[in-house]
Amino acid sequence: MNDQMVIDKAKASLGEKALEITNPAPRRIFIKLKVEDLLTAVGWLKAEMGFTHLATISGVDLGQTFELLYHFANNFTCVNLRTEIPRDQPRLPSICSLIPGAILYERELQDMFGIIVENIPDGRTLLLPDGWPEGNYPLRKDWKYERPPEVIPGGKK
Amino acid sequence: MKFQIPIGPQHPALKEPISLRMTVEGEVIRDADIRLGYNHRGLEKLAEQKTWIQNIYLTERICGICSHSHTTCYVQGVEKLMELEPPKRGLYIRTLVAELERIHSHLLWLGVAAHEAGFDSLFMYVWRDREIVMDILEIITGNRVHYGINTIGGVRRDLDAQQVQRILDSLAILRQRSEYYKHLGTNEPSFVARLAGVGYLSREDAIALCAVGPTLRASGVPMDVRKDDPYAVYDEVPFEVCTADTCDVLGRTVVRIKELFQCYNIIEFLLKNLPAGPVAVRAPRRAKPNEVVSRYEAPRGENIHYIKSNGTDKPERLKVRAPTLGNYAATIQMLKNGFIADVPLIFAAIDPCICCAERAVSLVDARTGQEKIISLNSLKSLSLKLSAGNERKREAEWPL
Repeated sequence: MNDQMVIDKAKASLGEKALEITNPAPRRIFIKLKVEDLLTAVGWLKAEMGFTHLATISGVDLGQTFELLYHFANNFTCVNLRTEIPRDQPRLPSICSLIPGAILYERELQDMFGIIVENIPDGRTLLLPDGWPEGNYPLRKDWKYERPPEVIPGGKK
Repeated sequence: MKFQIPIGPQHPALKEPISLRMTVEGEVIRDADIRLGYNHRGLEKLAEQKTWIQNIYLTERICGICSHSHTTCYVQGVEKLMELEPPKRGLYIRTLVAELERIHSHLLWLGVAAHEAGFDSLFMYVWRDREIVMDILEIITGNRVHYGINTIGGVRRDLDAQQVQRILDSLAILRQRSEYYKHLGTNEPSFVARLAGVGYLSREDAIALCAVGPTLRASGVPMDVRKDDPYAVYDEVPFEVCTADTCDVLGRTVVRIKELFQCYNIIEFLLKNLPAGPVAVRAPRRAKPNEVVSRYEAPRGENIHYIKSNGTDKPERLKVRAPTLGNYAATIQMLKNGFIADVPLIFAAIDPCICCAERAVSLVDARTGQEKIISLNSLKSLSLKLSAGNERKREAEWPL
């Protein structure tokens, strides 16, 4: 299986759903999808192409939208599914029913970007501390950390 | 009755803060839950405020054991963004350090596993020999832990003939010792009996839960980024992907010992075929807007960095997924239906000091599912109260 075979099969099976297919480097294929077609594409990758290993999910804050990349790999190549969701409606379907190993990455997305992953089997906080204020999502570009002023107990006033 | 036992986040036996909550029925673990974030340093956010060069040293500090893995993964991604072609000699030295790091990490792991299995002489032998590889790393890079050898466009230090000879000499000793460990690890009956069948992870589960590295390979899945997606000079170097099909801790030990021998072969090949020439090229300060997915086979498994540039001297986004995160989901599966006594072995980095964590016991009523936290003292007084009226057997006979 080489890159060209994967691209040909993607064109044949996904058809119109694959908005853009690029191959910028050997063994790196990027397929752009609408968020509604994500589950179909993941199912197709898993069942027909044998891409069972999800390396990780990367989220990027693009300003108006969030871009998500699902990095899949097998023994021959690496396929990256790219999708975008609007920032004011950050909803994403969970792929845990197909890839159970995605759970930690989806929980990380919820913590760091405030994306609502629908049908997630376990949606608790993973990384942020207990009592973290609501609506603070550290990896959003407009989130800035302000160090609280240091107060020395019994120190100078 | 089901008990929930918390281990961590601060626990004398834990090397790093992680919280494990295990539901046990007697000695058997029925469910395990994991909570992360006690060591979250906001590194991905910090990387967006640092320049490309500063980030090399930042990524180096992600991990103390596979520090070279993260820098190499980052640096080779940035080189693609900057359209740089590092010289061959630089890539050979980079791969050499990577393989030495794999040896030191696998020896460290073998020592910890032997210690957890109660085989402390093996632990001390292995860690003594690990010093040999630490010394080699110090000779090459000047440092034992954070090597600081990678730079964008190559490496920062060159090797001379004397160093090459010294590495080859030390390698002969390591190879001889590893033969002995291989013999011990697969023949010593008590050691094998302790490891066999512990932490079972079936092939199907390993694939479904996206396990990586030796954990995945010990379940019989031949996946190795060095073979599947060759970076640096791995397409020129002959080596085999090591697997085992026992799916347990013994298999993971065997895979790592086998990999040690592959590392020695790779290092010998690299040193004997070391090309002449410069070790680095000059890198620009900025990178054009682009994106790259960089993969690397760290000692613990696949490491992946996603880097996006925006035309400035700082990255737009640096996403890091270290191999251990990929293995957590599989670890929970391994712990299920195991014994409490196997937790340290399965987790390998946790000492068998579970009793320390049991000061607050939460009792779950098996019929109603109601949970109640109770201190050890009140548990004691409860048992005294219950046994207060009982007749005492003064002259009890020892049953055996």
